[in-house]
Amino acid sequence: MNPLCTPRDHTFSRRAFLGGGLGLLASPLFAEAMKQRDKQVLFVWLDGGMSQLETWDPKPNTEFGGPFRSIPTSVPGIHFGELMPKLAKQMHKLCVVRSMCTKDNAHSSGVDRIQRGDPKNRGVPYPHFGAGVAKLLGPGTSGLPPYVWIKPGSGGFRAEDAGFLGPKYGSLAFGDGKPPDNLLRHPDISAEQDTARNELRQMLDQRFAKQREKRVVEANASVFDMAEKLMARADIFDTSKLPERDRDRYGRHDLGQHMLVARQMLEAGVRFVKVTSYGWDTHGDHFNSQTTMVPKFDQAFSAILEDLEASGLLKTTLVICLSEFGRTPRINGHVGRDHWPEAWSIAMAGHGVKHGMVVGETDERGTEVKSQPFDIGAAFHTWYQALGIDSHKVEFDNAGQPLPIAHDDMLPIKEALA
Amino acid sequence: MKLEPKQIAEFKSERQISAARFSHDGSMLAAVGYEPVVRRWQFDGQALTPLPSIEGFHGYSTALAFHPKQPRLFAADSWGQLRCIEDEKTLWQHEAAHDGWLRQIAASPDGSRIATCGKDGFVRVWDAATGKKLAEHQAGEDVYALTMTDSITFGDMRGRLETWDVDLKKKQRSFDASVLYKLDRLQDLGGLRVLLHIDGSKTLLAAGTTPQNGATPQSIPTILFFDTATGKLTKTVTHGTNKEGYVHDLVQHPSGCLMAVTAGTPGSGQLFLLDPAEKEAFHENKKMANCHALALHPDGKHFVVTSTNRDSNGNGKSLTKDGVYKTNTSPLHLFEV
Repeated sequence: MNPLCTPRDHTFSRRAFLGGGLGLLASPLFAEAMKQRDKQVLFVWLDGGMSQLETWDPKPNTEFGGPFRSIPTSVPGIHFGELMPKLAKQMHKLCVVRSMCTKDNAHSSGVDRIQRGDPKNRGVPYPHFGAGVAKLLGPGTSGLPPYVWIKPGSGGFRAEDAGFLGPKYGSLAFGDGKPPDNLLRHPDISAEQDTARNELRQMLDQRFAKQREKRVVEANASVFDMAEKLMARADIFDTSKLPERDRDRYGRHDLGQHMLVARQMLEAGVRFVKVTSYGWDTHGDHFNSQTTMVPKFDQAFSAILEDLEASGLLKTTLVICLSEFGRTPRINGHVGRDHWPEAWSIAMAGHGVKHGMVVGETDERGTEVKSQPFDIGAAFHTWYQALGIDSHKVEFDNAGQPLPIAHDDMLPIKEALA
Repeated sequence: MKLEPKQIAEFKSERQISAARFSHDGSMLAAVGYEPVVRRWQFDGQALTPLPSIEGFHGYSTALAFHPKQPRLFAADSWGQLRCIEDEKTLWQHEAAHDGWLRQIAASPDGSRIATCGKDGFVRVWDAATGKKLAEHQAGEDVYALTMTDSITFGDMRGRLETWDVDLKKKQRSFDASVLYKLDRLQDLGGLRVLLHIDGSKTLLAAGTTPQNGATPQSIPTILFFDTATGKLTKTVTHGTNKEGYVHDLVQHPSGCLMAVTAGTPGSGQLFLLDPAEKEAFHENKKMANCHALALHPDGKHFVVTSTNRDSNGNGKSLTKDGVYKTNTSPLHLFEV
């Protein structure tokens, strides 16, 4: 690679796409570029539990439907809650499953169960979906960390997300969407000095490795590799140079700006990007909270869908949006909705899933799944298969023990798969 | 005079109530809440007897006000409908008086006009007799509360309060109640619930809460006192713990004392009475959970508090003994002063 250019110059960027004109879409060059492009995942996690009734599965004017109206979407016959007007215009890109029925109504255990796919208990912690994808698909050609997590608050490396796969596949969290402190080489250290230091480190690593478990050593080395790659790509955290219009379009709130960083990371080729928004556990003053939170989600999520489609990345990126559960139909005395795993929704878009489609149905009161219910294991099968991984044949290797990558007794949501 | 109210009866309701008011002559109690109807009861001084509900609203019925001199009820819903009703007959109606959630209605003291505010950020004034729109003002973001004297005072989600001259269509005064607002993560927490003038409109009260956190708010019920002549904050009264949440309703008794109800964490909440000259309540009743409305009878001798049934919260599907997933309800507590 020419030392004067960055890996970003070699990606198929939105700007290049727009500059090239829409005619490029039809060209064999574009098709080839998309084929060669690594599959990626955008995983949007609304922590605490988004209400299905105010968003994906409205029940207006019913006993538990709440105060809001529903609005038509770009797909005739499908309605969303009135607080998501931008996503309503993009329903033709989405696949919404309204028949999720999961087992856990507590955050403490539910978050983990959902993010690990709630497989059968094998006595070992399963990897988060992001870690599983990082293991099965690898870091891709970008060389960037395969599993990154953009979140409010603090960042750091979270080895525990990898479960039995070992710390190498943990998530690298960027607190507030910012790069780790001291990412860049100190200006007083020359490139040559830096190289010499790294060679010394590698030598010491080899000595260290002789006395340690292989996967610990790998994780240790991979952290340094990640740091090195990130040092070369510090630009992916910087949204300040983007047009003001882009920053406004995503929203100046943290979810909007973090989604913008996520777009940059996907454009740069990161395999799996998780974006977390906190504060969805609305046990009190629920409806007022929805009037301000849902439109911000609507803004940020619809903006990234638009841009991924415009750049062509939506063809190779599986987009998933979910929480650990939905919210109760019943309204408590604090005007809140509590935790509800019984009948809730997830949304998907992009690679491997059908578009403009709703799968499953809840009853008129929103209290039961009327169609076939799907547990999170079925969703994991669906996502792996959407990425081209045969979830019934491919297995993880837990130190020699083969383990299924998703719940053995469950099947993918076939209606959702493209 | 320090009142000592006593509960004399309790009545059941089928659904949850968010606001309730007595008619001008005290013969009827009406309530709005988490259903698209307005519930009504006849009141004979001892008991509340259900009357046919007014149907045809959408989403939630959200706001109501009685005409101060006639048996007319103005009621609204969360889809923007505004309706004037007498007995069971609709005298006039606007299906989209506001774009979406119509939050509050206030009637002028002479009953000639009513004012409404909504999530669409507008305050609108209507001829009470005909329903003709007389004026509108783009007030800012989601307008949570308003009160009407010769002018209108309204407040939005961010605690920006403003008095607006309807005839001159001009701002008269602004008040800073921004302590009733907080941004927590993605959530804008608007703490304002009630605006009320007392002392012949010399004092404006803004009641609700001083928000501390989003998602599951825990905060202390708060009443701000403003001097209407200068706009200055003169006193802040907080009452209860951070479990008790919001002042959801606030009225002034003819004796001068303030009567407020609160609700926060499920199971908490209370009725408290306060002399406006003091900072501490002289009476409190914690026997009712999550109180959302207080309707003072025009005789000043009775009032009704609506609360929420115990055990109103819970994760997952809690079923009755019959296996039914039921909604919560609002018991109506009749008090005698």
